[in-house]
Amino acid sequence: MTTIRRFCCDDLLRFASVNLDHLTETFNMSFYMTYLARWPDYFHVAEGPGKRIMGYIMGKVEGQGESWHGHVTAVTVAPEYRRQQVAKKLMNLLEENSDKIDKAYFVDLFVRASNTPAIKMYEKLGYVIYRRVLRYYSGEEDALDMRKALSRDVEKKSVIPLKRPITPEELEYD
Amino acid sequence: MASKFGLAGGIPERRVRPIWDAIDSRQFKNALKLVSSLLGKYPNSPYIISLKALVLERMGKSDEALSVCLSAKEQLHSNDSALMDDLTLSTLQIVFQRLGHSDLATSCYEHAAAKFPNNLDLMMGLFNCYVRESSFVKQQQTAIKMYKIASEERFLLWAVCSIQLQVLFGNGGEKLLLLAEGLLKKHVATHGLHEPEALMVYISLLEQQDKFGHALEILSGNLGSLLMVEVDKLRIQGRLLARTGDYKAAADVYEKILESCPDDWECLQHYLDCLLEDDPTWGSEPIENRIDAIKCADCRLSPLTDEVFDSRITRASTFVHKLQENLGNDIVRCPYLANLEIERRKHLYGKGDEQKLMEDLIQYFFRFGHLACFTSDVEVFVQVLSSDKKVELFKKLMECSSTISQVPAKALGLSITIFKFQQFLGNMYGLTVGGLEDLAVKMVEMFCMNLPLSKDLDPQESMHGEELLTMACNVLIQLFWRTQYFGFILDAIMVLEFGLTIRRHVWQYKILLMHLYSHLGAISLAYDWYKSLEVKNILLETVSHNILPQMLGSPLWMDLNTLLRDYLKFMDDHFKESADLTFLAYRHRNYSKAIEFVQFKERLQNSNQYLLARIESAILQLKQNAGNVDEVECILENLKYGMHFVELSNEIGSKSLTFNEDLESRPWWTPTPEENYLLGPVGEISHFPKDNLMKKREANTRTLIEKKALLPRMISLSIQSASVSFKDGVEVNGSVSNPNVSSEMKLLLEHYAKILGYHLSDALGVLGEVCRGLISTEVFGVDMIDWVNLAVFSSAWKLNSHEFDLQEREARKFGSWHDVDTLLKRCILERLKFLSNPISLHSTDFQTLVRLITEPLSWRVLLIQCYVRTSVPSGKKKKKSASADPSVLTLSSVVHDSIRSLCGTFEEAMRWLRNQNRKLEYEEENLEGTFLSMRSEVQKGRPGRVFQILETLCSSGSKELGDRISGALESWDPDNLVRKIVSGQRAVFSETLSICESKCRTLNALKQKISQI
Ligand SMILES: CC(C)(COP(=O)(O)OP(=O)(O)OC[C@H]1O[C@@H](n2cnc3c(N)ncnc32)[C@H](O)[C@@H]1OP(=O)(O)O)[C@@H](O)C(=O)NCCC(=O)NCCS
Repeated sequence: MTTIRRFCCDDLLRFASVNLDHLTETFNMSFYMTYLARWPDYFHVAEGPGKRIMGYIMGKVEGQGESWHGHVTAVTVAPEYRRQQVAKKLMNLLEENSDKIDKAYFVDLFVRASNTPAIKMYEKLGYVIYRRVLRYYSGEEDALDMRKALSRDVEKKSVIPLKRPITPEELEYD
Repeated sequence: MASKFGLAGGIPERRVRPIWDAIDSRQFKNALKLVSSLLGKYPNSPYIISLKALVLERMGKSDEALSVCLSAKEQLHSNDSALMDDLTLSTLQIVFQRLGHSDLATSCYEHAAAKFPNNLDLMMGLFNCYVRESSFVKQQQTAIKMYKIASEERFLLWAVCSIQLQVLFGNGGEKLLLLAEGLLKKHVATHGLHEPEALMVYISLLEQQDKFGHALEILSGNLGSLLMVEVDKLRIQGRLLARTGDYKAAADVYEKILESCPDDWECLQHYLDCLLEDDPTWGSEPIENRIDAIKCADCRLSPLTDEVFDSRITRASTFVHKLQENLGNDIVRCPYLANLEIERRKHLYGKGDEQKLMEDLIQYFFRFGHLACFTSDVEVFVQVLSSDKKVELFKKLMECSSTISQVPAKALGLSITIFKFQQFLGNMYGLTVGGLEDLAVKMVEMFCMNLPLSKDLDPQESMHGEELLTMACNVLIQLFWRTQYFGFILDAIMVLEFGLTIRRHVWQYKILLMHLYSHLGAISLAYDWYKSLEVKNILLETVSHNILPQMLGSPLWMDLNTLLRDYLKFMDDHFKESADLTFLAYRHRNYSKAIEFVQFKERLQNSNQYLLARIESAILQLKQNAGNVDEVECILENLKYGMHFVELSNEIGSKSLTFNEDLESRPWWTPTPEENYLLGPVGEISHFPKDNLMKKREANTRTLIEKKALLPRMISLSIQSASVSFKDGVEVNGSVSNPNVSSEMKLLLEHYAKILGYHLSDALGVLGEVCRGLISTEVFGVDMIDWVNLAVFSSAWKLNSHEFDLQEREARKFGSWHDVDTLLKRCILERLKFLSNPISLHSTDFQTLVRLITEPLSWRVLLIQCYVRTSVPSGKKKKKSASADPSVLTLSSVVHDSIRSLCGTFEEAMRWLRNQNRKLEYEEENLEGTFLSMRSEVQKGRPGRVFQILETLCSSGSKELGDRISGALESWDPDNLVRKIVSGQRAVFSETLSICESKCRTLNALKQKISQI
């Protein structure tokens, strides 16, 4: 029961029940609005009957040359709508945009190393752990940098895992 | 920063770079040194001057920064050879904006753009300035100029958006839109369009003028290929077709969409709208309004004949059936829920078949009953049923749930759905106390029994059956409401705290606890849970209503201050940065977002909560500093003596207010911040009162803002009045020294009284009667604080307006010096009598006491400080002459009496507060006592049964729960919890006590001063 459409500012006033979840970060306004202003096609919301917000995804597309890629900044689904493929649909849409419209090479994302449910989901959706980023979250927790190759990366070069973990300073993009 | 030639603002880049590096690394002193030495070399470079201003501003030297900025501006204007590039101007702009003088930056850009009319960079900068000022007309003009210079698509669209904004904000109509359309048409003819967003703007522009057919032509023409995602295009097409009235074609389009997105519920609704030729509202109408529509008896929304209607319904059913058959899995719900929607539409048409709807509901239950969203999915459809049918449906669902044999997690899901459904139907209200109790017991038992299901779950994941505890809490509070046994609240708290002991992330529990602790007066515990939710950024606007109102009435000023400060900072920051983000959207050619951002800012600026918080934060500052007149005057000066707030009060009636709070998360007993059923008798509460509640809320809020916004000004005027009247009034032989203060004050008092529903003189009459004990303070009702404020301020006014005569103690109605003190005492005493037992103490009643002490009583003490300050001169010489004056002597004895009376009033309050605190020390008299009895013997219909279930689970120490859960159970410590609640309650009393003590100290110091006369 998902109508997926572009996220708009008014949704910020309606997503409390999704964002009160402890794993879902509520960013500052300029963060959301920068994404909306620059990558509105990477920011989607899934609505159910009665226009209830079930979940949303925000992301962007960036990089140079063969590292031109889609990036998932956040994806979250309200507890009562979990395990109904909502996240999967949102992820698929972002992947399709990256693949078909922006012709990116891969999609990547960061996830807390302790967030097992999310990691399991990403794996199920075809993402592999590309590398570990040490103390990425507030200088404490490690992040896993996960990737999925798109059709343009014919040889799947972008997803060959790195051998060693890296530090946040070594990241190409923030 | 660097331009093509290695120059920045006309200065070699390598010389400027070190300054920027110093600024970036926050070494401002070093930056200042560098910039000053560079300025020696280029004394007239506006860029370097601007950089200096920037550094100064960062160092916090605002005044210096402003004057340097102004000299840069001067250079730009006067020196013809001065370099005017965007880098210089944007640097200047940053500083001007941070100093609150964006208008000066705009004038710099205007000057530069006029001088170099073909410089696009400068024009864009100017456009950005106008975006900051929301000058849509000037935006439009600037964009058109740029378009003329470069004939770029984006500039044209900037102009079109600026036009749309003018129309959206009510300035300009069809003609402007026509102009925009003309411009676009011409451009398309010569250049075509290249961006999907541009096409979207074009279409929206046509839609804004109801030119749907024209929009359709564009969409199906060449330009249509700009939309890369086929479904997106179909959606627009469907909408446009429907709006042209070509419902048949629109329905065909929607069928196509549904075939590729069978789970798209919104699309399905549009599909049915088209088939039935309902005047579709295209998603703008909230579903609740549609429910209302059902209620009106003969609403035939569809203009179709019976036959056509039937055939369309058949078509819909067939189509939906086909969708169902094509589905591979059982996750997609839309085509099944569609059956229900079709039945509902038939009902709307007057051809409903309740039996069929019931059957469909049951089918849906069979398929999706175990899902957490089942109840919310079907809410609208159940509303269609008559009450008898609802009961019948509920029975049937119960039967079904027992026949569906399921894996344990699904079975649990079904049971939860049954409970939830029951709560949704409002069946709880029909149950007996015993029935309710059994229900709560069942829910908690079920939660405990199913804990093993969650033993292997990751701690990050929601546990199975978490909702059961939320529902049990709801039932327990219902029980409290019915029986008034406080133990039931305690039971509810135990259930939720228990749940949080097992998994500490359940925000639903935390919100319920916040409300329960607030109700018990243990506000600090409520605030602790609020903090643990980490509410920040936009959630401050939507979630903080769960705590803010309670905090406003509490003596926990530090926490309240943090709460208000964080919230206001968030909002104000957004207002500051919003324009730059809007410009970002323009720059990235996401035009529709630019418009959206402007509207969103407007929405937040009109937020009722924001307006109130601004006033409350001013009042809080005044309260906190009421012991020191100088401080208060300083604060008032920063508040422009309350003038802005008076303006707000005057215009609030015509202002459009927004209500952005997310009320869904609130518990049933307090659906809005103003409403708390637990304070009233048990009665009918209708289950869908939202519409009415919201209307009431809006009206109340307007009044509240109108009233509160007058306070700072009244305080300011009263201080002025009290500061002149005794001294000057006496010296110049009673002549009124400041007639303006007096007449303005009179207007405000009249306004204030009018909000309370009275003419000023009648209101004073009422106050007089209460004061003389002819009627009780109960006449004030919920407006007690406002009435007493009125008394305090009107007495200050009378002092100045010359209607008050020191000799004449028999003031006609009310307002003699003495009257106010009597009234204050009476109010406090009656309050204290009312608040007898701390356990059954309603926090809102206590809040009124706190507010009496911290508002009217404090203002009174503040004003007395003013009188004394002016009438007891500090110099020695003056003191002599003053003591010789007989009228000052009379005065000092009057003030002396007043101080004694107020001290007495505070003493009473303090005695009561100490007494309450003492009582809370003894187990028998506090919640611990209630708790002990809940533990020992549990009777039916009495609190404690639910708690016992938790105890049993903990003591059984079951192995099958896994390490994590058993570990959590071991740490469960209900005794400690009860002690925490009691100390939370005591904290509030202690805090209030210390406020009273400080007031008494102030008064005693004043007494000393007077006695020197
Ligand atoms: C992670 C999250 C987004 C998943 O949302 P969802 O809508 O429930 O996920 P989906 O139903 O689309 O899951 C797709 C597949 O991922 C896997 N998956 C999802 N959640 C899982 C879980 N908790 N455990 C194991 N696998 C899981 C499953 O294989 C699932 O398919 P299946 O149900 O057919 O087995 C959701 O749990 C959430 O919002 N968590 C909190 C926020 C968060 O952690 N976000 C990620 C960090 S940015």
